[in-house]
Amino acid sequence: MNTAMNGTNEVLVDCQSVWKIFGARAQAAVKAISERGLSKKQVLQDFDCVVGVSDASLQVRRGEIFCIMGLSGSGKSTLIRLLNRLIEPSLGKITVKGKEIARLNPGELREMRSRNIGMVFQSVALLPNRTVLENAGFGLEVRGVAKDERNRTARAALEKVGLGDWTSRYPKELSGGMQQRVGLARALAADPEIILMDEPFSALDPLIRRQLQDEFRQLTKSLGKSAVFITHDLEEAIRIGDRIAIMKDGVIVQVGTAEEIVTRPADDYVSDFVAGISRIHLVKAHSVMRPVAEFKAAEPHCDVNALLRTSPEADIAALIDLTMQSDRDAISVVENGAVIGVVTIRGLLRGVAGTPTAA
Amino acid sequence: MDISTITDTFDSWTDNALGWISDNGEWLFDSVRAVLEGTYDGVLWLLQLAPFYVIAMIATLLGWRLIGAFAGILAGLAMIFCAVMGLWSETMSTLALVITATILALLFGIPIGIVAGFVRAFDRFLEPILDLIQTMPPYIYLLPAIALLGYGAATALVATFIVAMPPAIRLTSLGIRMTPHEFIELGQASGLTPWQMFTKIRLPFAIPSMMAGVNQCLMMAFGMVVIAGIVGSGGLGETIYSAVRTLDIATSINAAIAIVILTMVLDRLTQSVARRTEGDAR
Repeated sequence: MNTAMNGTNEVLVDCQSVWKIFGARAQAAVKAISERGLSKKQVLQDFDCVVGVSDASLQVRRGEIFCIMGLSGSGKSTLIRLLNRLIEPSLGKITVKGKEIARLNPGELREMRSRNIGMVFQSVALLPNRTVLENAGFGLEVRGVAKDERNRTARAALEKVGLGDWTSRYPKELSGGMQQRVGLARALAADPEIILMDEPFSALDPLIRRQLQDEFRQLTKSLGKSAVFITHDLEEAIRIGDRIAIMKDGVIVQVGTAEEIVTRPADDYVSDFVAGISRIHLVKAHSVMRPVAEFKAAEPHCDVNALLRTSPEADIAALIDLTMQSDRDAISVVENGAVIGVVTIRGLLRGVAGTPTAA
Repeated sequence: MDISTITDTFDSWTDNALGWISDNGEWLFDSVRAVLEGTYDGVLWLLQLAPFYVIAMIATLLGWRLIGAFAGILAGLAMIFCAVMGLWSETMSTLALVITATILALLFGIPIGIVAGFVRAFDRFLEPILDLIQTMPPYIYLLPAIALLGYGAATALVATFIVAMPPAIRLTSLGIRMTPHEFIELGQASGLTPWQMFTKIRLPFAIPSMMAGVNQCLMMAFGMVVIAGIVGSGGLGETIYSAVRTLDIATSINAAIAIVILTMVLDRLTQSVARRTEGDAR
């Protein structure tokens, strides 16, 4: 789960200090926040306004799957709707593909939504009076694409999600998982660069959910799309996301890769969350290894070059396998031909248990 | 000042106003009358083009396609029964009146309902007017109509139109307002223009409610058309009215049965259409 998978670091979506405040006196509250820096609590007390999103900043790069994880009421659904301006921000700047979306006129905004930003909903929202094919081609229909071409593209998108044989059915004839696939096909058919996924798999049963998570990740990566994925399930975020933002009460508490969040939680809230997460596929050699000098000082008789070798990106599961094969109790971590550290059994155990790391 | 003089003054104002309108708007009311009667005659001519068994067959076919074989046969038999009672031409006159009035009511009611569905203020403005129309005894609408349009089908049509329009407006407006939120969001996120949002999202979801409105409109029209027999509307209403005046109980019962049959057939047919559209929307 490497961020720079496609090699570019172009930022597609850029949120800078975005606020969303709901309430009759939102304007006054915004003014007070920008002038006096009020807290969420004060805003509620003084202005009777609810802060949906508070000072959120994030960047989504090209080809990246960015997960926003939070419980209900954390503001994640509001945040994702700010990205395509379904909700207007109260304060702050949101740029999509270099354009500040708050400045777009209605025509430009429609153009941006229909060409650049796709969206998949938790409720799926398939039009009941249309066939699966017509639903998948909806975005293209809206754009005025001719029927033949639209159907061809929609069919191709449905085949990608494994529903090529269901084109002439109606949504109500499909299971929940299949319906959500149509929702995904509808977003893909319009060929946007960015797909906003609003808790798309939350209502599905666990097995189907897992399957769709893997398919979604694989599909998004192979098509080179960027995605913002909302979920209330940390495991889902870890499975899918290149980077994860954790939200609580409208605030982004931490942004990082799954490994960063699990090994170095920013606060108690995050550490409570990650407590139940299995680390063996998340924690990598570089975060549990001891520096070479320290290892040599402790074990002067051991030659680090004679140990089995691995890369810094090897996860704990792989390290355990290697240790089992080895007759020694240590593995050396090699980068660019040089030994940069040593993983001992003690380090492995520490990595699994999640106690503060030596790195 | 005596209270009765106030009432008298008010009444004379009303009379004068009505007199003035009928004197000065004669050309208008003549043309309204011509249009209404022309439409009615056209519909009636169309219905009388075919003999009764053809109409009965059409009823059977529609019933069979829309509801089921049994309902179809029943509808056909019921229509034949109207002919057997010797009331076929009256039944067709009533049907023509109902169809004409319903089409008129929908022609105005649906657009008004759509606007009311979008503009909350307009909806609030309409609400008491519709309440008033629906709570007043329907006879009332015959009086100004007869004063301005005279005795005959045109008056019956206008009064029926007024009575039949409110449900069409209400249910259309309700249907437009009831679009599920997630589909509005889908439309916005897909970059729909306001017109596309209306035709591709709001209207399809409103159709079941609008069809219920059509059904209600039709039922109200039936009720009123019979009452309109008093002003010489022709058809079953007038048959009943004259039978009542001569105490010809047998004829009045026959005509009443014919009305019940016609109402039930049309009610079931339009209801099943409404239910179908509802099924599609789920």
